[in-house]
Amino acid sequence: MTSPLKTPDTDPPDWLERRLPVMSLLRRQYVAFPMPRNLNAFWSFGAFLIVTMAFMIASGLFLAINYTPDITQAFASVEAIDRQIPSGWFIRSLHMGGVTMLFACLYIHIGRSLWYGSYKAPRELLWLTGLGLMLMVMVTAFAGYVLPWGQMSYWGATVILNAVHAIPLIGQPLSELLLGGDTLGNVALHRLFVLHFTMAFAILGVIALHVAALHVVKSNNPSGIDPVSPSQTLPFHPYYTSRDGFALCLFLMVYAGLVFFLPDLLTLADNYVQANPLVTPRDIRPEWYFAPFYAILRAVPSRLGGLLLASGSLAVLFTLPWLDRSALRPATRRPMVRLSLPLAFAAFMVLGVAGMHAPTPAWLLASRVAIAWWFIHFLLVMPLASEREMSS
Amino acid sequence: MTQSETPPSSDGTRRRDLLATGTVVLGCAGACALAVPFVESLKNPVANPLSDRLLDVDLSSLTPGQDMSVRWRDWPVFIQRRTPQMLAALQAPDHLATLRDADSKVLQQPKDATNWHRSVRPEYGVLIGVCTHLGCVPSFEKPGSTPEAKGGYFCPCHGSHFDAAGRVARRAPAPCNLPVPPVTFLSDTKLRIGHSAGDPGFSMSDIQQI
Amino acid sequence: MTRWTRNLILVASLTALPACASTPAQRGLMVFQQVCSACHGMEHVAYGDMSSLGLSPDEIRKWAADQQMPNGTDDNGDPKTRPATATDPILSPYPNEAMGRLANHGLLPPDLSRLALTLPGGAEEIRQILLSYAPTPAGMTLDEGRYYNTALKWKHIGMPPPLQDGMLTYPDGTPATSAQMANDVSAFLDWIAHPHQAERRRIGVYVVTYLALMAFLTFLLQRRIWRAHR
Ligand code: HEM
Ligand code: FES
Repeated sequence: MTSPLKTPDTDPPDWLERRLPVMSLLRRQYVAFPMPRNLNAFWSFGAFLIVTMAFMIASGLFLAINYTPDITQAFASVEAIDRQIPSGWFIRSLHMGGVTMLFACLYIHIGRSLWYGSYKAPRELLWLTGLGLMLMVMVTAFAGYVLPWGQMSYWGATVILNAVHAIPLIGQPLSELLLGGDTLGNVALHRLFVLHFTMAFAILGVIALHVAALHVVKSNNPSGIDPVSPSQTLPFHPYYTSRDGFALCLFLMVYAGLVFFLPDLLTLADNYVQANPLVTPRDIRPEWYFAPFYAILRAVPSRLGGLLLASGSLAVLFTLPWLDRSALRPATRRPMVRLSLPLAFAAFMVLGVAGMHAPTPAWLLASRVAIAWWFIHFLLVMPLASEREMSS
Repeated sequence: MTQSETPPSSDGTRRRDLLATGTVVLGCAGACALAVPFVESLKNPVANPLSDRLLDVDLSSLTPGQDMSVRWRDWPVFIQRRTPQMLAALQAPDHLATLRDADSKVLQQPKDATNWHRSVRPEYGVLIGVCTHLGCVPSFEKPGSTPEAKGGYFCPCHGSHFDAAGRVARRAPAPCNLPVPPVTFLSDTKLRIGHSAGDPGFSMSDIQQI
Repeated sequence: MTRWTRNLILVASLTALPACASTPAQRGLMVFQQVCSACHGMEHVAYGDMSSLGLSPDEIRKWAADQQMPNGTDDNGDPKTRPATATDPILSPYPNEAMGRLANHGLLPPDLSRLALTLPGGAEEIRQILLSYAPTPAGMTLDEGRYYNTALKWKHIGMPPPLQDGMLTYPDGTPATSAQMANDVSAFLDWIAHPHQAERRRIGVYVVTYLALMAFLTFLLQRRIWRAHR
């Protein structure tokens, strides 16, 4: 009998290696993996995202153990987590603070990719899977926010589901699929609960794709020129493990500050009032991470127009690798982009702040200017800049 | 970490090794500490001494030979009113010989129920209806309902027999007598489950087998 | 149960409470027990949660046992009650919303579980309201069931002035003036609205200290590793 395992192998690493070469795979991908030498702190945000996701999944599972997806009990079950379940307050704060950390890291991570041109060939798929992850996190966060069944949960979900309903063609069937009834009620809550954790686990799968794509095309770097010789790279371990470890400690200090000292900083107090379908809270607004898109909805004096522009503001990002075809990557080396991109970042922040304020004429004007600049940057400046660079 | 990457300074190597090991050990310790609240959250919050609930039961509708069940702390509690025949049967010597723990030596009841009738008052029996074998709920054999029925309990799952005082038969797979909850008679027809006036320090967590 | 029998029960229950109140929140609990709970509940808070305020299990059990919990219906279909236990919620004294409104000129006294968090002015706003009752000025007429109160925008409120000097006796000897009680009860409601806050901060200090130490160590480690390449 000839078998590929005919040699008597007793050495444990060898035994495993012959059957399932995980150790050498890990070694290739996470120890000896060649990294550019000149990465800066912005390259640590991917590690932050992975760690935050781990916190989200762990805390989410333990919340789900005590949560009741029923409109008569959901609010009370979350209150019980906060008050009576041992350490429940900690687990819930990890989950709520984690959402903020997750979105903050996502936005910075994406901003980094925009600034250093990481979306360009050959990293288009890395960019697209990343944007897909952002959309999935948004859906997950939306569904999760409904679960505590507070006033903001209820009215936020009502507004969003009606917005979905208004999308031409697919909107109506999609919102009916989510609602499962005439109004937001028990059926919808249960569906959103299932959607919430299913999407969270699906995110893990897409993260795996994202990282796999990264390991094929390797990391971009601030110079935008991919290293060609081994002397221009350093092994991931110990160089970037130690550095990410340090950055992670600083990151966790911020996260811990939010969880232990400022748990109410970014949450809306009205969500501690149980959902009441007869009364809309006076100052209804979304959590900070949805504020920019909310500001777009409010600034456009047409329902369909607002929806189109809000989703368009994300859609342009998906087309970016093809709008910007120049080989030059970092904005630092592209005079036009260097001016225009920071303004686009500022526009995003203006929209975020506007979304958290009452829609006074001043904020509406600021929002409209910001929206205009966002689209000008991506649809005009980027193609123009790359045109000029390619011809010179 | 390959040796060639170690900084060349002679004592630096040792220091980094100490630093590296220390950091990794401390990091792992932190991760373990993080697991504590998660495990903690799985503890049963009802299992604290504050949660001993009191339940008042009205016995006025219970006629001799009848039994009723109520729910206390999510356990079924059987309350039976015994006839003189049932009480006599509990003391019959040839019956006692068939029991595993006729004198209630195992701590399955408060002190004021550690007696031949395993209850505060002989006329009433109060038992937790959870079989000490594997936890099924035994059923009452109303005296006279069948020729053998003497007001004991029979567990359908693996055939354990208990007498009217909840004492387990020697032949049964169940190891212990049925547990007796702490009770106090507020009046002749009013029973409070959850507190024993005769054994105030008693807590259900002292019970051997439930 | 009417407000008055409820009040009687509460006053009676208080003789069974030998707590030696000392912090404002602890004294505030007494104010809640004797005054506020005549109309308000805290339905997400359990009697047992007071143990972290320093109440002993016996005190909690006694307090709970003097309160009634709905307990299904009797054979005639009429609602039954049972004594509350430590794990039960501190319910509103009214068995349902309609009864609550009936007793309060159509208004429902709000639940206090999170009030100090959801009111824009927080616990301080509660304190101000309790301190700002005054006789209705001449020339101003208020509807029945409205009371003059300068802390509110429209200068009136549906809650009758709940506090009177000396209406209760603090076991620790603090004089029970209205101002003192307003102070104490708002501290208590602040504590209720932010569950586990003291513990949260205490643990937070340890966690941040640990992370700072780890940051220091990893900083040294990465500097050593990178030095050869700088
Ligand atoms: C991508 C990862 C996740 C994100 C972005 C996310 C986001 C959210 C958000 C925004 C909330 C509302 C927070 C609040 O105000 O209470 C929430 C609540 C909740 N989530 Fe998640 N979540 C994630 C993963 C998970 C997972 C994996 C589970 C369980 C399997 C889970 C279970 C829950 C439960 C039970 C609640 C309701 C309890 C509460 O509101 O505190 N989550 N989530
Ligand atoms: S569980 Fe009762 S005999 Fe086995």
